[in-house]
Amino acid sequence: MKQVVISRAATVTALGDDLSTLWRRLLAGEGAIAPVTRFATECYTSNHGAAIASLQAAAGDSLMTPLLHRVAAQLSDLPADCRLLVATTKGEIDLLETRRRQKAALTEPDSEGFLARVAEAFALPPAGVTINAACASSTIAVGRGAAMIANGQASAVLVYAADLLSEFVFSGFSALQALAAAPCRPFDQRRIGLNLGEAGVALLLLSEDRAQSEGAPVLARVAGWGAANDAHHVTAPARDGCGLVLACRQALDRARISAGQVCGINAHGTGTVYNDAMELTAFATLFGDRLPPLHGIKGSIGHCLGAAGGVEIAVATQALAEQRLPPTVGCDQPEPAAGGQVGARVQTLAGDYLLCCNSGFGGINGTVILQRITI
Amino acid sequence: MTGWITGIGWVNGDGCGHGRAAQAAPCWTATVSVPTRRQVFAKADLRFGRLDDFSRVGLAAIACCLRDAGLEQWQHKRAIGIVAATRKGCLTTDLAYLDTLLASGGALASPNLFAYTLPNCFLGEAALRFGLVGNSLIINQSPRNDLEVLRYALQELSWSCGQQGVLAGFCDVPPPDEKERAGALFVMIEATADTGTAPYGRLDLQGDRLVFNGRAMPDVDALVAACFGTMS
Repeated sequence: MKQVVISRAATVTALGDDLSTLWRRLLAGEGAIAPVTRFATECYTSNHGAAIASLQAAAGDSLMTPLLHRVAAQLSDLPADCRLLVATTKGEIDLLETRRRQKAALTEPDSEGFLARVAEAFALPPAGVTINAACASSTIAVGRGAAMIANGQASAVLVYAADLLSEFVFSGFSALQALAAAPCRPFDQRRIGLNLGEAGVALLLLSEDRAQSEGAPVLARVAGWGAANDAHHVTAPARDGCGLVLACRQALDRARISAGQVCGINAHGTGTVYNDAMELTAFATLFGDRLPPLHGIKGSIGHCLGAAGGVEIAVATQALAEQRLPPTVGCDQPEPAAGGQVGARVQTLAGDYLLCCNSGFGGINGTVILQRITI
Repeated sequence: MTGWITGIGWVNGDGCGHGRAAQAAPCWTATVSVPTRRQVFAKADLRFGRLDDFSRVGLAAIACCLRDAGLEQWQHKRAIGIVAATRKGCLTTDLAYLDTLLASGGALASPNLFAYTLPNCFLGEAALRFGLVGNSLIINQSPRNDLEVLRYALQELSWSCGQQGVLAGFCDVPPPDEKERAGALFVMIEATADTGTAPYGRLDLQGDRLVFNGRAMPDVDALVAACFGTMS
């Protein structure tokens, strides 16, 4: 099995157009959740979300296009043999909205066309796979990319993930009574729901051999990954966190480490009552009374759906390198079950392994464990 | 990479079917007969009636496949994953949901429809009904390469930690005015041959080639026909 590293990362979120800006603003405890102006929100249970500033599409085009180009502009000169994995939940859903409103011909914003546009933006061959596993899409894509490299199927994989703050999704979460009417509070006792965000993220995975031989930068090693289904409910998490526990155990086994070696957690932390409680239950099962410091960034940039995991893994590379976790914005009265290990403050890490996890509709859970390395 | 095909199930224009109960391999047209609960499950299933057509078709095909593989009944959750390919995904559900959104300015957007506007939701429906705790995901289906999902599934099976099997197939319920293949088909690929049901045969991934019982397969239809050939 080959070792896998994340060599480069690019993000565009409501907290800025690159990873270093996102990291700096997360550490400062900033939040981008604000009243939404992209569409009318009077009929919804919330008007709050985290939109990317000045994201404008050409007439008849999707906002996914400028988002893609803002991410791709940060990652040039990718390896020519790089394989492509795209992760998204709703892709160019804004186009479908527009066409339906205009009663225009209902040509689907097709995933194959989007895949080709992503490949073109990164100057890669027009081939690849688009993965949809709800809000665990990009976490599972990173795991898939790592597996491809670890098993010798590729030596370079680009994972691109993106999702928009669209009225389609916003209205749906409103209808499900899942939106917070104010900035959300992940892992806080007073949490009442989530805020939606949007993001584009690209992660270049390389075999460690290749990174070393080519002198490529290394942000972190992808030490382990896992994915499992709750087999419990389609939209609600299993209260005992059984699927998340299973995914984390797979990742720990792959990384060949014990839970005690995990020095920090980037949790899904949506700010809904049930998700956050489920995660804390799962973490208690995994870590017992030795829960490491944990945090979540959705109080800062909202829930970026299929891109959430990718952004969080990019942030986790910085957290491992600097040995500190950004504040969980909105978590002023942490859940007692977190044992004081989460809050709206910067926390210090002391170790080499950081666990990132996401869960989504369909009962799916994905986990990636990053390892700090120095070459 | 090797797996053993132990079950085949589908939903097409003629309804539901599975390999060991059928006389011939399924044919595909641009229409699909969306199954009722009674055509899929013997027992009452209150949720089935609430599902969108895409989910009903996909779930029914998985149920038929598991029945064919002798894996429909279960007591303990099982490490079985699902990889499903689709071209249009849940487009028809998206449109139905959009209509509730646009008709009311958002005020009466349907939460029940929204819950099925992710194409992977029927995988969750299958997982909870049949205790399937493996990885479950949707990949885009290219019309030019319908074997990609089987490659993906075999790799998933080979690279995973102790997975018992993977259901792999496709599901598409295009809008009525489209002329593409409609329906769903899944095959059960198990890690070992010593399961309760005699396998149809052995599936190998040799480079990019999918080989069934020693013969390279050009597409899914050829694979299913070859599976039927083992029963004659």
